[in-house]
Amino acid sequence: MKKLQVSMLACVLSVTAVLAGCGSSKEAAGTNTQSGGSTAPQGQTASAGKPVEIDFWYALGGKNGEYIEKMVKDFNASHKDIVVKPAYQGSYYENHSKVLASVSAGNQPDVTMVEVGSIGAFADAKVLEDLGPYANGAEKKYIPGLLGNSYWKDKLYAIPFNRSTPLLYLNRDMLKAAGLDPNGPKTWEELRQFSQAMTKKEGDKTATYGFSTPIDIWFYEALVFQSGGKILTDDNKELAINTEAGKAPLEFWTGMLKEGVMKAPPGEKYNAWDVAKQDFLNQQVGMIFTSTGDLRSLKENAKFDLGTAFLPANKNFGAPTGGANLVMLAKSSDEEKKASWEFMQWMTDTKQTIPFSLESGYMPVTTEAVESEDMKKAYEKEPNFQVAVKQLEYASPRPMVPGYKELQEVIMTEIQRAVLGQASVDEAIQKATEKGQKLLKK
Amino acid sequence: MLQVGRTAWKTVEWVLLAAVGLVFVFPFLWMFLTAFKTMPEVYQFPPTWWPESWQFENFRIAWSSGPFVTYVMNSILVAGGILILQFLIAVPAAYAFARYRFPGRNLLFGLSLIALMIPSQVIFLPVYVEMSHWGLVNTLWSLILPFGASAFGIFLLRQAFMQVPDEVIEAARLDSASEWKIMWTIMVPMAKPVLVTFGLFSFIYHWNDYFWPLIMTNSDSVRTLPIGISMLKAAEGGKQWNVIMAGNMILVLPILVVFFFAQRHIISAFVYQSK
Amino acid sequence: MHKAVAAPELSGTSNQAAEVPIDWMERLRPYLYVAPAMLFFALFFFFPIGYVIYLSFFDWSLLNLEEMEWVGLGNFTALMAEEDFWQVLGNTLIYTVVTVGLGILLSFMLALWLNRKAKVYGIVQAAVFSPHIVSLVSIAMLWMWLMDPQYGLLNAILEMVGLPGYSWLSDTKSAMVSLILVSIWKGVGYNTLVFIAGMQSIPKDIYEAADLDHSPWWRTLTRITIPMLSPTMFFLLVINTVSSFQVFDTIYIMTQGGPVNSTNMLVFYIYEQGMDFYNGGAASAASVILLAMVGFLTWLHFRLMEKRVHYR
Repeated sequence: MKKLQVSMLACVLSVTAVLAGCGSSKEAAGTNTQSGGSTAPQGQTASAGKPVEIDFWYALGGKNGEYIEKMVKDFNASHKDIVVKPAYQGSYYENHSKVLASVSAGNQPDVTMVEVGSIGAFADAKVLEDLGPYANGAEKKYIPGLLGNSYWKDKLYAIPFNRSTPLLYLNRDMLKAAGLDPNGPKTWEELRQFSQAMTKKEGDKTATYGFSTPIDIWFYEALVFQSGGKILTDDNKELAINTEAGKAPLEFWTGMLKEGVMKAPPGEKYNAWDVAKQDFLNQQVGMIFTSTGDLRSLKENAKFDLGTAFLPANKNFGAPTGGANLVMLAKSSDEEKKASWEFMQWMTDTKQTIPFSLESGYMPVTTEAVESEDMKKAYEKEPNFQVAVKQLEYASPRPMVPGYKELQEVIMTEIQRAVLGQASVDEAIQKATEKGQKLLKK
Repeated sequence: MLQVGRTAWKTVEWVLLAAVGLVFVFPFLWMFLTAFKTMPEVYQFPPTWWPESWQFENFRIAWSSGPFVTYVMNSILVAGGILILQFLIAVPAAYAFARYRFPGRNLLFGLSLIALMIPSQVIFLPVYVEMSHWGLVNTLWSLILPFGASAFGIFLLRQAFMQVPDEVIEAARLDSASEWKIMWTIMVPMAKPVLVTFGLFSFIYHWNDYFWPLIMTNSDSVRTLPIGISMLKAAEGGKQWNVIMAGNMILVLPILVVFFFAQRHIISAFVYQSK
Repeated sequence: MHKAVAAPELSGTSNQAAEVPIDWMERLRPYLYVAPAMLFFALFFFFPIGYVIYLSFFDWSLLNLEEMEWVGLGNFTALMAEEDFWQVLGNTLIYTVVTVGLGILLSFMLALWLNRKAKVYGIVQAAVFSPHIVSLVSIAMLWMWLMDPQYGLLNAILEMVGLPGYSWLSDTKSAMVSLILVSIWKGVGYNTLVFIAGMQSIPKDIYEAADLDHSPWWRTLTRITIPMLSPTMFFLLVINTVSSFQVFDTIYIMTQGGPVNSTNMLVFYIYEQGMDFYNGGAASAASVILLAMVGFLTWLHFRLMEKRVHYR
């Protein structure tokens, strides 16, 4: 910021050099460059200030990250008065740690992605800016099903950005070869049967598994929802998983694991996701659960007919939404907030969300986008991209309490214990509930 | 007969020596080989030993996945900056400890030794809070300053200074050279081997450091190479081990090459600590 | 260290003794010379140590440093009541004991073997040492790749010789073993070379005397080598223990403390509590406990060093 000011000042002083010199530098890529703010009164125009610089932290690596960088570049090119500086911070949770730490240090970003389940924690700590006054009803353009995690205590704190739900990914070639419906299983029971049919053994080793999923909280949530249950009670004060519906997912998974028709990919956290995806691409697993956000890259790397389907139903279809929202930080200055809001809106607007969705597989976030001709055409060509949006009908927001990150780790640890056979389903759920209750009381 | 036994034993020992060497060197070789493979080749089981075709592309992908020029520059600035600061601070302190007797000397020297024992991981939390109060988080200063005083450096230099014969200093004093001048122009050059030793140790240590920049930085403009490399992990659709290993080569190769040529120095730099 | 006592001391003021008034500059000089170092130690070691102890009495979070609530020893009692924390402590101890014990034993044997003049031994020494100077990040990623349960080289080799693949990082029982393995692999070279340096500083005439007595090799080992190396061994014990206590990089990159908390250890726990779960209180209390552990070792180290200095 300081450096920029100095260089700006230098530019202003040599007026003739403004166009030639400053115009070419990246930060001041504008011809209306001139002094602004309160420090340098010699500028003559009052209407156009010097560009406001805002920091934007994101948490998507690989191709999706590159696309975000490109979007930011486009934004900067089309907005002369705002300069957005993007910075990649690793996974969602690494980004959270960074944001959290930076808030205390006072060098926080102005806009960042926050994983939807953690919006509550950030809002509760008063780190986020209430977006209500900025939005003024503009939030109505977003798909209502994606706004569930945007509110905390009835205030709007976040707008949907890269939004996903889990999907069942299918290797249609393998399904067909096994004489199964290439549209995939519709129920848990079918999922089990399909897996049995697709699992192939070579001697005492399993060459192909029918099904694999990371033992992750997100999929556990999905299966609980499918069983008609929920994670937290409605008042968010108690864990609600010590129920039939809370145990059903574990019984289902452990059953399939015992039968040897499902693989629990090794590795902690996102490592397990990587393994599941790699197995799927290598055709060592016929069906996996993973995020819609992986659709584009899996599609590009698959050497087989790749399909997607709703997560199979137990009592009903169901899935949590996921991904991340954009938030604005409360500590930014008014000027930065204004610019931030403009940036957030632009990033999530129909014009941007359509190509972003098609480039990544994340869902388009505005209603207008879903109904647009472009999207319809794309869906016709590639129906897989529409499955997530259709599944939204059955989707719910992720549970949200301030300490949910720690709570979800506790639950995950305990359900993994059950999956690894270190505890029975009942013991695991019992333990998770005990520990979880303690956290919720804090 | 004895002769035959001895040759046989020699052969066995050579095989064992080679085996031990391989255990430590082969993983690096594997890093090198993987760095040149294609993705499908990486995900092949059993693996191929030799890459089917040499993919220099992996290095380009790794290098262009982030501003690696900046990372390298920062790594050099940080490791170099720390070294210079440590040098400037340790020389006078070591000189005072080696050549002066003053009240409180033992206490102060003892305090430095305690600092030698406390690893930075133990106190990262308060240092972070401290840095944040000063507004230094996410600057190169936050990576350099905490390591400015090296207890190890003071310790080494003090010993070197103590070994300089008194006559040398006496002679200089008779020439009415100031203490300050004696320190920098007579003592420091005489401690050159120790300085090289310490320099290598310090530079390598901070070049490799991951924890501190992980805690302190959050933008590419101040990140160092180990952080940049660790960010290669993230990619959709499975880990690209070939690219990850290519990236790691960038971090590892310079050190190994330097080690190859300056083995003796480096080993003594690290082992010296024990004496 | 002991040289400090024996070294001739020169008083900075001795030459100006003729001058009658006390030269304050000369009196002050040593203090001025050590001042910058002391300032840095104060700022980045001693103040933070005090500060973290102070912080451990509060309930606070990095999110909001202005709102700190005094809880006395509350953070400590909460930690003590936390089953997971005991597991973390237990993990740290197991990791440390095995890494240090096995690491020192292995390197001692290597040192006995490799402490020879011929060039091959030097080359093997360098090879064994090489991992020590490579960044732990790279080593963690490299081993993660080698230990990949499906495509990794290690399981490929196991399969080649007809053994079943190992689960490495993916199982609660094997993950800790794997981390220990990596840490020994990285550290053994350093220990070996320190031992070799120690062995070479044992006066030759002692061995020559033993040779004349025709004492068998094992007696030479137990009567001469090991006792003479005991300071080295003790030094390595302390250094290795302290560095095992602070293991983080490998955990962060390879296991994230899992599976099922089986590799969650102190520094990672502190990081997780402080930076992930917003529990500054728990994190600083755990830091204090770690500090006490390291402090105790340091104290022990100094006590025994003192003894050693007096003996010689």
